[in-house]
Amino acid sequence: MYKKNLPVEGGIQGFDYPRPRLIDSMWRAGGILFLVILIAWAWSGTDFDIKKLLNSMPRMADFFSRLVPPDMTVAKTVFVSTGETVQIAVFGTFISAIASFFLGLFAAENISPLWISQPIKWFLAVLRGIPVILLALMFVSTVGLGPFPGVLAIAFHSTGMLGKFYAEAIENARSGPLEALDSAGANLWQRVRFGILTQVGPDLARDTLFRFELNLRESLVLGLVGAGGIGFYILLYIRAFQYEKVATLTVVVLLMVVIVEQISVAIRRRLR
Amino acid sequence: MEVIQNLERNQKSFQNEKAVNVVSIQNVRVRYTRDAPLVLDIERLDIHKGERVAVIGQSGAGKTTLLRLINGYVSPESGLIKIFEYSNDIRVARNRNLRLRIGLIFQHFNLIDRATVFENVLWGRLGIVNPFLSLLGWFPDRDKIAAMRAIKEVNLEKQAGQRTDTLSGGQLQRVAIARVLAQEAEIILADEPVSNLDPSLADDILGLLGEVSNRHGVTLIMNLHQPALAQRYAERVIGLRHGKIIYDNEASLLNPIALRSIFDSGINTSQVFSSNV
Repeated sequence: MYKKNLPVEGGIQGFDYPRPRLIDSMWRAGGILFLVILIAWAWSGTDFDIKKLLNSMPRMADFFSRLVPPDMTVAKTVFVSTGETVQIAVFGTFISAIASFFLGLFAAENISPLWISQPIKWFLAVLRGIPVILLALMFVSTVGLGPFPGVLAIAFHSTGMLGKFYAEAIENARSGPLEALDSAGANLWQRVRFGILTQVGPDLARDTLFRFELNLRESLVLGLVGAGGIGFYILLYIRAFQYEKVATLTVVVLLMVVIVEQISVAIRRRLR
Repeated sequence: MEVIQNLERNQKSFQNEKAVNVVSIQNVRVRYTRDAPLVLDIERLDIHKGERVAVIGQSGAGKTTLLRLINGYVSPESGLIKIFEYSNDIRVARNRNLRLRIGLIFQHFNLIDRATVFENVLWGRLGIVNPFLSLLGWFPDRDKIAAMRAIKEVNLEKQAGQRTDTLSGGQLQRVAIARVLAQEAEIILADEPVSNLDPSLADDILGLLGEVSNRHGVTLIMNLHQPALAQRYAERVIGLRHGKIIYDNEASLLNPIALRSIFDSGINTSQVFSSNV
């Protein structure tokens, strides 16, 4: 934010240079002050206490000592339920990707008129705003226990975000190639397939993989409300104070998350 | 005055020929919004089949609008337009059969960067192939052969499998030309086709466009910034100023007086003609 053509008295060695305006400096100072006040307010309201944290170290050590050695007798149960969690994440992401593609397409302002795109954007914002655990509770009470309500919760929740990302990617597609295809006689769906998908395909794939990673983590907690997956066993073993079994669960979950993340990062890097 | 006389002479010569008109424009006025000034105000313009026409004029003279009017992206507020047998309709742009017959070449090439040369050229046939099968990625052999033939014609066979984001500017414009060849367009509209290219490549591309036009009997209408190029590569030059045609004559007759009136005296005509044929 520099004022153009600002006359400067003197300058440096006779050279004139633009200087920040007073109003810009005041805005910057005001912004920093606001941030400081916001952090102080959050600190005071959360009872954050370093001393208390340091005093709790012995109890933490005791907790971790109870985790070893991990109880491998539950390995089979853990692998099966972990598999279910991955299944929920994969299928939920798949449904979400399909729904998001069409919603994103109609939410994109370079494809749809504003009276269509805007309401869809609002709808996506509402979907994003509902916590996944709330959706899971709702679907458990309507379709019953098990992984099915988990898939629905993941699909609905992630469509809110993925649809928005897809719409933004589609809006960023260059219009020139679309005009070229249009002039070659391509119809709307051909323009979408060859003009848009070819341009933004890697972006959509990257967004989908990123969302899949998030979905995998969110699927872990779905079991807490009976919506399938490993979360159910986490709750069960913690309540029964069976920390060695919790340790086995934690190791498997960590392994799964790290492996999936590495694969996802490798694929995303190759997409260009 | 000389310009006006030239124009009158020229209109006689162009209108009296017994050639087939592929573009016919009469009393057409274009403005972008109701209260905006006129961007195009053309009394009469006929372009014959197979002609090579260069449209010159300052920025904002209406060159691009004229091309967009011909391919139907811009609708006139009044007047008559006839492109091939399709007459005067604002809905001309939405006529797929007509769009197919008009190929566009752009200043910024407008290719799909992530697709190969072959795919970009093949997609020039999207208006010809079965839409449903094309969405599944299936193109008949005759379309693939047509695409390869077009690629060969612009000397890019070796790059056919290469992604277009690995090509140079001149090669990109060659791909764009191959795309309209694959489209089997009968009119090629080229909007500043060499503005992004250095002079040697500009000669190369305009030479290629001329060859293509001659070989296939395609009508070529191109917007050019440089009058010297217009004179070298077109048979006919149309000079636009403030949306009106103020010069329309054989390219060889383009002279400094005409240029000064087209470019509002803001052109060094000695430079234009020194680099000329």
